[in-house]
Amino acid sequence: MTLFSKASSTHSFSNLSTISTKTIIQMNDVWASYDAKNYVLKEITLSINSGTNYAIVGQSGSGKTTLLKLINGMMTPSKGQIRVDYQIPNTKNDKFKKSLSKIGYIPQNLGLVKNISVIDNILIGALPRISKVKSFFKIFPQNEINEAEKILHLVGLEGKRDRKTYMLSGGEKRRVAIARALMQKPVLLLADEIVSELDHVTAREIMDLIADAQKKFNLTAVMVHHDIQLGLKYANRVAVIKEGQKILELGVEGDKIVDFQSGNTSQQEILELYNTNES
Amino acid sequence: MNPKNNLIIGIVIAAVVAMSYNIDANPVEFVEGIPNLAIVAKEMTEVELDLFGTAFWSMLETIEMAFIGTVVGVAIALPLSMLAARNLNRKLVYVPIRALLAATRTFPSILWAILFVIMVGLGPFAGILAIIMYTIGFITKLQYESIEAIDSDPVEAVSSIGVSKWQLIRHVVVPESAPHLLSQILYMFDYNVRQTSILGLVGAGGIGFYIINYIKFFEYGKAAVFMLVVLITVLLIDWASVKIRDKYIVKAQEGMQVKI
Repeated sequence: MTLFSKASSTHSFSNLSTISTKTIIQMNDVWASYDAKNYVLKEITLSINSGTNYAIVGQSGSGKTTLLKLINGMMTPSKGQIRVDYQIPNTKNDKFKKSLSKIGYIPQNLGLVKNISVIDNILIGALPRISKVKSFFKIFPQNEINEAEKILHLVGLEGKRDRKTYMLSGGEKRRVAIARALMQKPVLLLADEIVSELDHVTAREIMDLIADAQKKFNLTAVMVHHDIQLGLKYANRVAVIKEGQKILELGVEGDKIVDFQSGNTSQQEILELYNTNES
Repeated sequence: MNPKNNLIIGIVIAAVVAMSYNIDANPVEFVEGIPNLAIVAKEMTEVELDLFGTAFWSMLETIEMAFIGTVVGVAIALPLSMLAARNLNRKLVYVPIRALLAATRTFPSILWAILFVIMVGLGPFAGILAIIMYTIGFITKLQYESIEAIDSDPVEAVSSIGVSKWQLIRHVVVPESAPHLLSQILYMFDYNVRQTSILGLVGAGGIGFYIINYIKFFEYGKAAVFMLVVLITVLLIDWASVKIRDKYIVKAQEGMQVKI
């Protein structure tokens, strides 16, 4: 059984204990381009294990967002191989469309429907499970409404259930976007610079909320950050992208930062490499 | 101003003069005709107040026609505009629908009214059908344009979670374009009331029937009563739509909080 679909497949994971060691995202020498000339991503090879919190860090224009779009199939690579739960991600492929409902994607601009209420935005996450006729008349089954209300409570917006989304603050809007993604009952959560425009206190609250949800729902999270400190604080692994290439893959072991890409454990050298590449 | 602009303005003015000459539109006749207006205006002041009752009921009929026409027209226009929006459909779908709608808009409502009078006979029903046709052509165009202009972020975000196209339309596109829709419906109703007021000219019901007949028989005082009722009604509707617009539409714009 794959993580995404209940249909039996050759890759069978019959019990949850094996999931923690399973590779959920695999990229081999991936190149991506928007205009078939300039590559925004080059030679990306990485593997992300199920249940981890993986951060992608880099400056603006380094290709971070493109990397997320490759994972949920909104973009396809020019070269190289990507497998997400053993499938080739492509939103145009009907087979992958089923898996999409299990990938919570929070774009940088959040993509909320601003003229509807908070609860209606959250319920959008349940749409792939609702029949077309019922969803046309906005009839959601009671269990889905209960679920949405539970998630509303989890993200701390129970007092804003029927508030129109455009009236919310930046931090609250992010909570709604997280809630919509959780409503999908996702296996994988992708978030693009979700806290970059927030003040430090709100940013921490949002990151803690995601960390809690990740534990609670046993999610794999891939999050793009502008700030490397945020990545190191919350993620198990941090890939540093510069000009489309992965230059470092950091993790914390004990009280040390290790570069898994080079196997370098010298803090001095890692910091120097990071600084020279960031400047 | 550069010489090129002067030349263009000169050509436009010359064209207006030449065309006026061609169709025999002489401003002197307008000036000479002003005393005639005074005669009409004087007769119009001799209003017959006992006609107000008839005027009121025929105005009510006009409003009812405009209301039915607007509601039915909008109900038909909405699904059509979804099919005509370029960002939701393939060329094969939106091109023929747009062509059909453009053809609908070519006729003013009075021509539709003549057509329907021939079809279903004299009376308000022909007028309602004409209003429906005109509303469909107009609202569909306004709607597909506002659908094409909606924010692409929620569309992209929600389609990336694997929803069907109609779910996307129902839960993202419709609510995102709804503030425009309400404003368009109000405008259309306002416009339809004024239009319905003249459909009586061709026997398609409403208050226009009285106005045209009294004018035909030079009874300007009687016509004036009906025209006054139209004027008051249009002003009232205008005032009401401003109120509704302020209450629901301005607030629905993102981030805007208006206290009146």
